[in-house]
Amino acid sequence: MRARILSILAYTGAALTLLVAVCVPFVLMGAFTNVVAHAGLHIDAVYSGGAVARTVQRDGYRIVVYQPVQSRLLERIEPFVQIVFEPADSLPAHVSEEIDLDGDGRPDVRVSFNLPADPNAPLRGDVTALNKTYVSLANVGGESFSRMVVRTGNKIVVRVPLNKELGR
Amino acid sequence: MASRSSALARPPAFRSVGRSILLTLPIALWSLLMFTPSFRQAGRDRHIGALLVILFMTTLFFLMMRTGETYRWRRIFFVALGFLFPFGFIAALVAERGTMSIPISRMVSGDTPFCFMVTPSLLLPAAFARTIIFPGSILPTASNPHSIAIMIGIWFAMTLVLGKAWCSYGCFFGGIEEGFAAFAKRRRLHRLITRFGAQLRLIPWAILVFVVLASAALFEPVYCMWLCPFKAVTEFPAVRNVTTAIQMGIFVALFVGLVVVLPFLTKKRTQCGFFCPFGAFQSIFNKINLFEIRFNREKCVDCTLCQTTCPTVALSKESIRDGKTLLNCMKCGACVDVCKKGAAVWHLKGTAVAVKPERARLLFLYGAWAMATMMGGSILANSVATMVHWLPGK
Repeated sequence: MRARILSILAYTGAALTLLVAVCVPFVLMGAFTNVVAHAGLHIDAVYSGGAVARTVQRDGYRIVVYQPVQSRLLERIEPFVQIVFEPADSLPAHVSEEIDLDGDGRPDVRVSFNLPADPNAPLRGDVTALNKTYVSLANVGGESFSRMVVRTGNKIVVRVPLNKELGR
Repeated sequence: MASRSSALARPPAFRSVGRSILLTLPIALWSLLMFTPSFRQAGRDRHIGALLVILFMTTLFFLMMRTGETYRWRRIFFVALGFLFPFGFIAALVAERGTMSIPISRMVSGDTPFCFMVTPSLLLPAAFARTIIFPGSILPTASNPHSIAIMIGIWFAMTLVLGKAWCSYGCFFGGIEEGFAAFAKRRRLHRLITRFGAQLRLIPWAILVFVVLASAALFEPVYCMWLCPFKAVTEFPAVRNVTTAIQMGIFVALFVGLVVVLPFLTKKRTQCGFFCPFGAFQSIFNKINLFEIRFNREKCVDCTLCQTTCPTVALSKESIRDGKTLLNCMKCGACVDVCKKGAAVWHLKGTAVAVKPERARLLFLYGAWAMATMMGGSILANSVATMVHWLPGK
């Protein structure tokens, strides 16, 4: 009797597995995708740049300043602040901007770069630290996650390292 | 070769043509259903790709029904997938960005396509910090349709059906080494593998534990960054300093060693069996999957041919004596096909062993082949369309 019940349960399970298989492309893939999408997860700040601190509007473009990103546990990342210039196609051919990163009303860094006409051409730029909290960068491109001046789509992403002693 | 021995093990016509066609009909209809959207899209290349894949998948399933063999026909699909996936993937990368390497700008813009292999590395940071340590995007974007949510959704849904059989029907990497293993004329290093089989089987688990803990501690996908052999044939971080150069060296060394040379020498899927942490992770799902391979002890003569043939060392003398496979069995069917005594059988958990093994095989194969057609078939169709697009004179 037990064997018969087990057998019935097994075939019911097998039938359900087949039903699941049929449902995968039409229902389940979408359902599980929604679960992951709405799980309140976010991409690590090392890749995404973290949360936006404030936006500065300029003539025809804006500068988005992000909150500082610090390393966690044994993370091998230099603390940094991300700055985004967007839209890139509205930027002048030469950009040189003094930017207040910590919101105290005084500029912290000067970012300067020449924007190539070809969006796929390599971009390099300079960052001059105006106080000891930040680290200057000369002729930087996409060297590391903490030190970069790169073009991503219609944005220019600049990452300025924080001085390790003072940045925390 | 396993396929030759298995061909001897059974009569050439296991089922009549008519009955085989009848049993293949659901898969033929499923294939048509899966590829109907391709025919609605513009482009003759896509139509040709879809049509060829429908014929390919349906023919292979028909041959499984007709001959009663699973491994040989599944292997044709799997090797084709393994070799054509990098082709289509690399072609798309080169067309889009002109290189296989991922520039840092693509990583910070969330444009890295998500690969299921990284899933175990994400678990702890996602659970405890709600953070995904991968440079992709959670939701699909115009520049990155292979978003994290979609890929995890596909993987989990398919895993419910396949369990560890993902590694034989779903993975688009395993076919590469299965292909190199198939090229080999004879089995080398067999005694060594048999002697140290128990230890070798533990390596993927050790790597899994290391990768999960190290990823959580370093907040980076350690497997992707340092250990994935398949980076060598898909995409990899652009070499921009000594660290990335070392990473690239590791990827190439692991690929050549574990995916090309060792499978060719041993006729085993050495990367899958002795290295892949995702495979170990996937083994856990064998516990909840209803299908398995069992051994009829009344018929078994302990010849260990199945153990010798198993591509991933998922059998030991003890396990055969117990009538079971080990947890890392990926249900490829090699042991069943090679067994001359018919002792190795497909089995549905909860039913009597070897009473209706063909029914268990059919129930398993319908689900597995449906998933293979859905995912692997789509990849094959895409790669074939790319090849057709590149044909001379076009």
